[in-house]
Amino acid sequence: MHTLLFFFTFLNWLNTHVIIRNESALPVYKVGDNETWAAKSFNDKDWSAIRDNTASQIFWSRTHLDLHQVENVLLPLGLQIEAFGAFEVYWDGVFIGRNGQIPMKGKPEIPGTERSYYSIPDSLIKPGIHVVAMRSSQSLLPDVQRSIAFKIDRYTNLLTRPLITMAYMNLMAGAFLIAAIYYFFLYLNSKRRQSDILIFGTICLLFFALLIMEYLKFHVTIPYPEFFTRLEVIGWLTFVNALLVPLYFIIQFNFKKGLWLMLILLLTLLLMYGSNYHHYDLTARLYSLAMFVTAFIVVLNGIVQREKGGLIVLAGLLISALVNRFLVYDYGLFISFTIIVLCMLYLHSIRASVIEAEHQNALLLSSRLQLELLKKNIQPHFIRNTLTSMMDWVEESPKEGARFIQVLAAEFDIMNEISAQTLIPLSKELELCRQHLSVMGFRKEINYIWEQADIDETQLIPPAVIHTLLENGITHSAPLPENTIKFILYYSVSKDAYQYIFETVAKNRPVMTGRAGGNGFKYIQARLTESYGDKWAFTSGATETGWKSTIQISIK
Amino acid sequence: MNILIIEDEARIARRLQRMTLEFFGNTPTQISVCDSLQKGLDHILDDNPDLLLLDLNLNGDDGFQILEKMVAASFHTIVVSANIDKAITAFAYGVLDFVPKPFDQDRLSKALTRFVSPKLKPDGGIKYLAVKTAGQVRLISIADVIYIKGAGIYTELHLHNGKPQLHDKSLELLQQLLPDRFERIHKSYLVNIEQAERIIVNPGTRYSLLLRTGEVLPVGRSKYKELKLRII
Repeated sequence: MHTLLFFFTFLNWLNTHVIIRNESALPVYKVGDNETWAAKSFNDKDWSAIRDNTASQIFWSRTHLDLHQVENVLLPLGLQIEAFGAFEVYWDGVFIGRNGQIPMKGKPEIPGTERSYYSIPDSLIKPGIHVVAMRSSQSLLPDVQRSIAFKIDRYTNLLTRPLITMAYMNLMAGAFLIAAIYYFFLYLNSKRRQSDILIFGTICLLFFALLIMEYLKFHVTIPYPEFFTRLEVIGWLTFVNALLVPLYFIIQFNFKKGLWLMLILLLTLLLMYGSNYHHYDLTARLYSLAMFVTAFIVVLNGIVQREKGGLIVLAGLLISALVNRFLVYDYGLFISFTIIVLCMLYLHSIRASVIEAEHQNALLLSSRLQLELLKKNIQPHFIRNTLTSMMDWVEESPKEGARFIQVLAAEFDIMNEISAQTLIPLSKELELCRQHLSVMGFRKEINYIWEQADIDETQLIPPAVIHTLLENGITHSAPLPENTIKFILYYSVSKDAYQYIFETVAKNRPVMTGRAGGNGFKYIQARLTESYGDKWAFTSGATETGWKSTIQISIK
Repeated sequence: MNILIIEDEARIARRLQRMTLEFFGNTPTQISVCDSLQKGLDHILDDNPDLLLLDLNLNGDDGFQILEKMVAASFHTIVVSANIDKAITAFAYGVLDFVPKPFDQDRLSKALTRFVSPKLKPDGGIKYLAVKTAGQVRLISIADVIYIKGAGIYTELHLHNGKPQLHDKSLELLQQLLPDRFERIHKSYLVNIEQAERIIVNPGTRYSLLLRTGEVLPVGRSKYKELKLRII
């Protein structure tokens, strides 16, 4: 939308009226002070085309402008002068205004501003040659040689057009300011502190600053000695943006050699700055060229890597490069920058939706795991075998049968208690394991022995992880000759990890089919991922004395 | 009577053993118990039982691979399992009965009664016959079977593709498992009645059955009347 409004302003600007026939007319200079030098008829043939260092002296300049016939609707006419110094302006010998104050009676010069506007009397605009004579001083930047540029248009147009342009620019600047603030808040309040959000916020803020700086001259009157300061600031803002925009793309498109590319870009930009010192417009153009080349490299690489959003951003960059190439710098840069920032916003929204999907998946995983946990005790293999044994116990010895029912109820209670949690105290997990062993003891009539070493019962662990290892141990082991199976849990902490080792001391049953442990291991791994991300390791394998599983959780 | 129980839970294995002995009462019955499938398979190689009581975790394809092996053998199999949702599939593979856990004496007796009364057919429909060829077990669809011929302790399945297959089960056991449309027309022949064209009466009150395939099979004198009723 901004771009569109902007474009209309631009068309409007193209539509300005050509009134001066010789727009590039050059002034001639003479050091000294003589009021007759203002006259239209004065002969300035022997005046110099070069001003030289005029120190704090007063000097005069005269420029011959050849006017077209002017339509009445354009009246009153105004004269726009772009020049350094303090000066009084004479149109065909008639004083029409001043900019700053030239040194007078020992008082120093009050500097004028670089661009100033004057109304031309209606009686002095006949077609043909006219003379603009300027009584000037340039004591604050005496050695800076800068020519004088003139433009004539309807006086009110000269005054209002920059304001209209600025209104659009401020609209854009406001959008960037809001975006910057939003992304800074997002960065500060996010637990993950993603650097790309910070970079994006900074880009928006810098771009806001760039827009404000570019149009600062319409907000405040800048004395001509400070003219270059503003350009210098704009240059550095462009410099930093030319670095940050490719950096953002490097992060978003997972560019592998990002550091190298950034170093090359930095060196190139510094080289551009050094070799074109004080050619502000040229340096800014070169900066944006470097930025485009780097961004293209990163985006093309992203497309090769099949990164999301690659093609859209490439299209955006192409449009933006074309705009930058074919419009005047002032407009082109901002339009192209806007397109790039839109591309970034688009990328960011893609990224945000990916994160949202990941979050949804995590929630889904958690509820799936909870279900999985609850299913452990109602899956037919467990419940029906348990009930069959229980029938038998009740028939044979009602007293033992009742005890069996109680241990089963206790196991159910613990399961129910822990099922909705993602981490439980180790003591709870151990209680669950012991209850399960009691149940299985009634069923299998094997003497199960439970041992634990160096256990820190206050530690937290995902629910039913050791329980799952225990189940596997029971299913896949045959008892030793004395009808025992022993389970041992070791716990240890080192500098950067803590570790559980779960050992089954028994005979491993020969594996007939390939299904050993599949679902149980998946459950354990999913639980570890849910609570520890990728900061865990799980191994499990046969040993000479049975089976050994190790869970390591790194602390860092 | 030689019965094998494969069950890895000691308590349940003892229950099966006790209830089975109770069922057979005075009949001399020898029961072996194996606590793993592998031990069971090894046992079968040494000593072929008359009946197998099999606990099988039928969750997953592998359970059915084991089941295929068992039903291809010469004896009847009764599955005793917790995976009750797999009963229909187990019947399709040709088990004599499916006893869901938990079970009591009545339910197990019902299954064992089927074993001792060949007239009682399984509750579920058999869909395949598992046959061993070159060490591999293959499933043959019942629809492909035209007739079955007794050949000593084996049987010969005659199929639509013309290639006979040997099966380890006797004609009597197969007849019990197969649906009613398989009619015993002779002491050595079991025929899919849908494949019968007509009865041929030969001189000397000898009968034979012409099949749609053109084959002619002998019909036992005592079977003629019943067969005639079914064909007309």
